[in-house]
Amino acid sequence: MPVMKSPYNGRQPNEFRILTELEGVPNSRSIETYKKHGGYAALEKILKGGMSPDEVINIVKASGLRGRGGAGFPTGMKWGFVPKAPGEKYLITNFDEGEPGTYKDRYIAELNAHMLIEGKLIGAYAIGASKSYIYIRGEFYEEIAWCEQAIKEAYDAGYLGDNILGTGFKHHMDVYVGAGAYICGEETGLISSLEGKKGQPKLKPPFPAVKGYLGKPTIVNNVETLAVVPWIIRNGAEAYKKFGTEKSAGTKLFNISGPVVRPGCYELPLGYPLKKFIYEDCGGLIDGKKLKAVIPGGASAPVLTAEEVENMTMDYEAFAAAGTMLGSGAVIVIPEDVSMVHVLENLMHFFKDESCGQCTPCREGTGWLLKMSRDIVNGEGAPGDAEKIAEVAGKMMGRTICTFSDAAAGPARSIPQKFAHEFVEFYKLNKTAAQEVR
Amino acid sequence: MSSFFSTELNKKIKEYLGRYETKRSSILPILHAVQDENDWISPEAVQALETEHGLSVVDVNEVLSFYTMYRKAPPKPYRLEVCGSISCWLHGADKTIAEAKKHIAAVEAAGKPVPFECHKVECLGVCGYAPVALVNKDRHLNVTPEAALKLIEDYSKKELPAAAKKCAADLAARQPKP
Repeated sequence: MPVMKSPYNGRQPNEFRILTELEGVPNSRSIETYKKHGGYAALEKILKGGMSPDEVINIVKASGLRGRGGAGFPTGMKWGFVPKAPGEKYLITNFDEGEPGTYKDRYIAELNAHMLIEGKLIGAYAIGASKSYIYIRGEFYEEIAWCEQAIKEAYDAGYLGDNILGTGFKHHMDVYVGAGAYICGEETGLISSLEGKKGQPKLKPPFPAVKGYLGKPTIVNNVETLAVVPWIIRNGAEAYKKFGTEKSAGTKLFNISGPVVRPGCYELPLGYPLKKFIYEDCGGLIDGKKLKAVIPGGASAPVLTAEEVENMTMDYEAFAAAGTMLGSGAVIVIPEDVSMVHVLENLMHFFKDESCGQCTPCREGTGWLLKMSRDIVNGEGAPGDAEKIAEVAGKMMGRTICTFSDAAAGPARSIPQKFAHEFVEFYKLNKTAAQEVR
Repeated sequence: MSSFFSTELNKKIKEYLGRYETKRSSILPILHAVQDENDWISPEAVQALETEHGLSVVDVNEVLSFYTMYRKAPPKPYRLEVCGSISCWLHGADKTIAEAKKHIAAVEAAGKPVPFECHKVECLGVCGYAPVALVNKDRHLNVTPEAALKLIEDYSKKELPAAAKKCAADLAARQPKP
């Protein structure tokens, strides 16, 4: 099996290394390496130092850490929603990484899954959970093995079990393997899947923090979110807030794909300039191609034109102000020689394929969007089609159980609106000519 | 009474049945284990999960029909699954898929069986090294059309995986005796 290698070993400026500290370190995945770099010190500090769950939650709140899976919800606040009453509670890690363009969580497991395990233990202590799961997508065969190995090491070292470090804190952890369904990345869909059912999302409220897995209070956190928690506990909230902007604190893993010279997973402070990232860190586009557009946060994020990229910074607020989102930090670069009509068709295929089929606007809407964009690609489009696509997409928003439908509408509204001229060109082509355009 | 599953698989199934808070949660991991041994999940296997292990056919079929990784029909020994989502498509994944399919069809049309099938799948989560593909459980990066043909050639020379052999033997046993 080919070994994944990061092209940035030793190249990344040291001051940005929180999650990527072990990049380039030999035998980085072992528990010994992790401990040598400060691993499990945060857990010991909490358990042996007598820190209360509320103190932990307050530090995470003060750090400004927000969910790194896509929604950006403040993590400490989410933990605080769990009822204090005694009883079974669960912490689940969302490792169902499947948003096209995203490959950051697997990179954390490639570097060292103990970051995640320690973060989970801290989270579990904060919310009072004695059992937690890592829900990981089924196609991640290597990553599953890395997580299982790390859990075994943590048990052997006494960081997991009935009496952790002799402090009386009890916690058990297991890996749960998915089976190929993007929708299981949605937290309530994930919970359905963990319960052994179809991965269909559930109506909120009740929120999982109150009624989740098997009806018990459950917190679902992304891998990257949890993996950064030990560093925050070790170094303090203020140290974390030194990175990033006022409202988007800390660093974030940005995964870039598309035709750039140095693709990969980069840790950067939030608020970093997007243009600098693409042209300096990633070396620009291959063969000196010109940039046409960027999808900044995974397939669900509305597209940005090359012009909009110019002064854009990579943080929650700047992206939101431009009508798009930071999402999972998946930056997808689209060069000048690729037709945006084809990009739309490709994205709509994804959403049609992955809709769970539960709600009519999404099940039918994604099919319509795919069919309409496919007709244009096949030279069978007519003036008004682009507007129709955007209109249908608009009607799919806010009318379903989860936000998958809204996610499909992101590109389906923004591409026809921002690249209307490309659709017009397509209408003029006959079937043969249209199929020659890529 | 003889079991539909091997002794080893029965042991695994029992372990999964007691591993989670509810029996139902064990369905996904059990189906993975059944597929790992048999290469697919036959209606007979689903029935045996009910009669031998008490998992309802309805509950199992709910899971089986929803998740795409479970194979509901006997597959060929090797599956080349190429990601066709946006990042891989930008790197020509559609060409890789077309070439691989064309190659398999052409060789088979000439009367020579190829132990491979090729499918387009959605995002495999390694988008920086596009196009990404799986051959069964092995991940391959930067799978250009040429690389795909090489993979088909290389794997075809190997000894068949155990699950593929079992699958072939089971199918042969089903054929009515002449």
